[in-house]
Amino acid sequence: MFELLNSHYNYFAVMLLLGIGLYMLIESQNLVKKVIGMNIFQTGIFLFFITLAFRAGGNPPIIKEGGGPYVSPLPHVLILTAIVVGVSLTAVALALIIRIYTEYGTLDEDKLKQLYYD
Amino acid sequence: MTLSLIEGVLLVFVLCCAIGAAVLRDVLASLMAFAAYSLGISIIWVMLEAPDVGLTEAAVGAGIMTILFILALANTVRPQENGLFESISVPTVVLVGAFVVVMIATVPSLPAVGADGAANPVVSGEVTQYYIDNAYADTEVKNGVTAVLAAYRGFDTLGEAVVVFSAGVAALTVLRQEVFA
Repeated sequence: MFELLNSHYNYFAVMLLLGIGLYMLIESQNLVKKVIGMNIFQTGIFLFFITLAFRAGGNPPIIKEGGGPYVSPLPHVLILTAIVVGVSLTAVALALIIRIYTEYGTLDEDKLKQLYYD
Repeated sequence: MTLSLIEGVLLVFVLCCAIGAAVLRDVLASLMAFAAYSLGISIIWVMLEAPDVGLTEAAVGAGIMTILFILALANTVRPQENGLFESISVPTVVLVGAFVVVMIATVPSLPAVGADGAANPVVSGEVTQYYIDNAYADTEVKNGVTAVLAAYRGFDTLGEAVVVFSAGVAALTVLRQEVFA
């Protein structure tokens, strides 16, 4: 187990970050904290991709004579796109939260449920 | 590759910040823990030889994202409640723990961190090799990430721009702000 932790450390961090994000999504009563949890879940997935692109002794993919070996540029591009999409998602979620607050006057999940069913 | 001291410290730091964001009761405190988390993870990107992703994460993840959250908090409410930490719900911890255990069961089948050759098809695969061999000749851009982002996968980037535009339209529609009126 310790050997596995020593060679696969980033993947353990990925799985723990997914767990923490999921916990916040399920358990946080405040909607803003749920959005923070969603972002932590996302970053866990980013760490998975960037770790797969990494090779020991590799250089950043800036191509020059005799500069190799390089890490893989493709996962980096996918994650750059995903970071920007994540920010767009957060912006829309926060706009919805502001609207919910102006309509209902609270961001607490249980109170919102009560108000909705009354 | 084995775990070095600085990487271990960084991973522990980001995990502590994430746990802090989860258990701190005050929303602003939780948000500050998340900003520190973003900063720590952008340093991890640099350690993993992904400087472009690190720059984007530091500027967009730690910067713009925190500003968006603070704007949202300024326009809504920051509940004042007693107690520094939230109470931990045992059923949710059991559920999430089961999820994490199932996910960790897949870890032994993944390549070790920093593996290359046949063990890690992502870094030694045909696609990566093609980009590295031909990026400069095809696009005259020395940065492999820029070459893939803007040339080989330019349509992905166009799609990303469409997503950002739709998000802007959606946010303004939801908030009913007519900026052009």
